[in-house]
Amino acid sequence: MGILSASGSFTRYAVVEELTGQLASELPERLARFSFRDIDDTADERSFGWVCLEDWLDSFWRAAPPEKAHYMAFSLRLDTRRVPPAVFKKHFLLAVKHEKEAMKESGKTFITKDRKQELKDQVMLKLRTRFLPIPAVFDAVWNLRSNRIWLATTNAKVRVLFEEHFTMSFGLTLEPMTPYFLARRTVDKSRITLLDDLEQSPFAAQ
Amino acid sequence: MDLIKAAMQDVVLGQDFLTWLWFRSEKNGWLFKTPDGVEFNVYLEQRLSVRGGSGDNVEKAVVTGPHAEFTEAKLGLRNGKLVDKAVLRLERDGATWMVLLGADDFSLSGLKTPKIETRLEEGDDPDAPFLEKMMLVEQCVEFVDELYRQFLEVRLSTNWTDELRAFRSWLGEQ
Repeated sequence: MGILSASGSFTRYAVVEELTGQLASELPERLARFSFRDIDDTADERSFGWVCLEDWLDSFWRAAPPEKAHYMAFSLRLDTRRVPPAVFKKHFLLAVKHEKEAMKESGKTFITKDRKQELKDQVMLKLRTRFLPIPAVFDAVWNLRSNRIWLATTNAKVRVLFEEHFTMSFGLTLEPMTPYFLARRTVDKSRITLLDDLEQSPFAAQ
Repeated sequence: MDLIKAAMQDVVLGQDFLTWLWFRSEKNGWLFKTPDGVEFNVYLEQRLSVRGGSGDNVEKAVVTGPHAEFTEAKLGLRNGKLVDKAVLRLERDGATWMVLLGADDFSLSGLKTPKIETRLEEGDDPDAPFLEKMMLVEQCVEFVDELYRQFLEVRLSTNWTDELRAFRSWLGEQ
């Protein structure tokens, strides 16, 4: 979902550490270092990394640079290979059948647990090469002045992935702007401790 | 960063805030002011959800409608439920923003800003639509943050019991 769409869903973060001038100048290079790598021709289950905001097929920012005034704008691309469970089940059953037929010749009938697991892994690997990964893209905008981040999704799994990849790429920690953290940044220092002990208000009590 | 403490207090603060905002916006005639005097309107409309109980006993009521009175949701409030999601319509100088705000994590869903011009003419800065959009998106949360700041001001003060009393009489009027 693009930032420029008519409507979008967002999660907000504050970067915990200060953004030094040195790091700010390294951002484009770090984006490139942790950019997305294509897995169309592999059997990898998933791949993720940064891509150009204007063109999510571009991991090299040829279409446009990430710097836009006092923002750094980029996208998180996540490609995932999904083998439908029914397809996997069918091919696993076929593999077990073949295995049993092959065993007949040697007079054995029992497939051990370890061998079953091995068959499962082999079947999964073989099937993965036959399914193309499904791409998904989530825009992210870093306001370098306020040191706040916008991520264009509210999906919990994507949020975790984004937070981890962000820390990996820039060595910085993200604090989600949830009611508690936002309150800690809003209220006067003398009242911060009050936030820890608040209980739900009895709005309807007589 | 104490995530466990945050998870507990997020629910308390977020639900108290949205429940208060419903009452406060109606009481104020939907008008709020920033500390530097900028006036903006806040309406809760189209969709509102209330939640009560905990664990396996959570009960929810989602009320929708273009100009809903939210009678069912108010009934929920009387039974001890609190607002856990609401569509906010924010207006300033004829510009309108809409956003579905979640109480537990302040997730912003379906955020609609005033329309922007995305077609570029020759000589225009190619980043212009992006920058305009970001300015509008950030303006939206500045309003939400200001509302939250006003809520925290009263919530953490000794006036909170008076505010709750006023809330109950508002709820009784409906």
